[in-house]
Amino acid sequence: MAEDKPDIGRLVDEAAKALGLPIAEQYRANVIVNYERSLAIAAPLLEVDLDDELTPAPVFRP
Amino acid sequence: MSDPLSKHATATEIAGAVMSGKVKALAVVDAALARITAAEPTVNAFTDIVAERARIRAVEIDRGLHRGPMLGVPFAVKNLFDIKGHPTRAGSKINNDGPIATRDGSLIRKLEAAGAILVGGLNMGEYAYDFTGENAHYGPSRNPRDPERMTGGSSGGSGAAVAAGEVPIALGSDTNGSIRVPASLCGLFGLKPTYGRLSRAGTYPFVDAFDHLGPLARSVDDLALSFDAMQGWDPDDPVCTDRSAEPTVPALLEGINGLRIAIAGDYFERGARPEALEAVATVARALGATRKITIPEAAAARSAAYVITAIEGGQLHLPRLRSRPQDFDPDTRERFMAGALLPGAWYVKAQRFRRRYRANVQKLFAEVDIILAPATPCTAPRLGQVMMSLGGAELPVRANLGLFTQPISFIGLPVVVAPLQRPGGLPIGVQIIANHYNEAAALRVARALEKQGVASAPPA
Repeated sequence: MAEDKPDIGRLVDEAAKALGLPIAEQYRANVIVNYERSLAIAAPLLEVDLDDELTPAPVFRP
Repeated sequence: MSDPLSKHATATEIAGAVMSGKVKALAVVDAALARITAAEPTVNAFTDIVAERARIRAVEIDRGLHRGPMLGVPFAVKNLFDIKGHPTRAGSKINNDGPIATRDGSLIRKLEAAGAILVGGLNMGEYAYDFTGENAHYGPSRNPRDPERMTGGSSGGSGAAVAAGEVPIALGSDTNGSIRVPASLCGLFGLKPTYGRLSRAGTYPFVDAFDHLGPLARSVDDLALSFDAMQGWDPDDPVCTDRSAEPTVPALLEGINGLRIAIAGDYFERGARPEALEAVATVARALGATRKITIPEAAAARSAAYVITAIEGGQLHLPRLRSRPQDFDPDTRERFMAGALLPGAWYVKAQRFRRRYRANVQKLFAEVDIILAPATPCTAPRLGQVMMSLGGAELPVRANLGLFTQPISFIGLPVVVAPLQRPGGLPIGVQIIANHYNEAAALRVARALEKQGVASAPPA
């Protein structure tokens, strides 16, 4: 449904504010393009189901 | 046997000639510096040349002060390596204002301890977030096979310097394909070792989860020679393995008998141009490999590698994105900004998925020793080219040159790229993928292809 599609422009503006990352007007459109591209490329990962028990494999050793 | 002073000479040949006294290290260095001066206007591989330092080292070698298996071999490094006395550019303008390195990166020290001689730092895509070799600050590295075309990146200068015959060996870094892509587009052998095998200490990071270092060269001998010299635990890189070094030079004599070789199907056959698939088929035929296997969930692996890269890279550069956005390369700036804003939930999911994917791919290595796959979906695109046609779709060049390398480095498997020269056309590489810590098997296969004349990397 079209109305379910996120407003990436607004998302970028608000997330940048929350993160304290000023995005100048001349960069904004391309940040949005790249965010949208990321959504498309992330799709195969977001569709995967993972067991709750599956934890990451970090290298950090105390 | 090539003249050790010519652009055709391999590192192995040069070291042999210097060790036997046939040629002086100083003559080798001077010849390399002359080739660099001649080729740079065309290929733009170097950002820093350390001629005086190299000559001093060569004179010391000629006086018998240093020994080692790479005696007198000139080499250069991607400029994300610390070079004592220089700022570590990492392809950026911003880092030029940063600290001056007080010592060389760990792998430079290891190669020099083996007798090799650093001659300079090499051009690269800004902060390594690049598959093209283009750079707004320093100009693009240009492909010696056709200077109007991309070298591939982000180790673009490394590819250009070796393919032009300026140096026999260059070091690069590979987070998602940045050694393998230029090796393929410039027609070189390249080695991306197992994650954690070689120390990354003294290099500017990009994505800690995937950052690897390794060599590009024009012969398999040279990959093995330099790889062996660089192995070994380093307390300065927490990811570096404490496994003992496993020399690969002796393994090259073993041939490929007993190695079970398969071709990656499914994901690795889609979205490639015919020349990429023909290269894999040619290699498979030469090796007698007919079995096809599927690396499960490779598309999700590429997706997860992209997410981790975007978020780690964006987070790393956040202070500079806030304070000096105007000083970034326009081709990285907004990608880093977008990456900094992506959801944390994606990142954690990608890391959790990585563990399952690793387990499933390791199961495949119970049945096979080597998996063959394309290195790039196409030969070198034109400089400045933004879109390309793959599998019937128009896709961005930048995001898609690493389509086939990303699912492999995502879990740190070792890969050798074997280059196929195409008469009348541009070269293209094939990935020879082995199980973790089995670089030797991939090098043995590359050596077999080199011996048969199927893979080769003559200087342009």
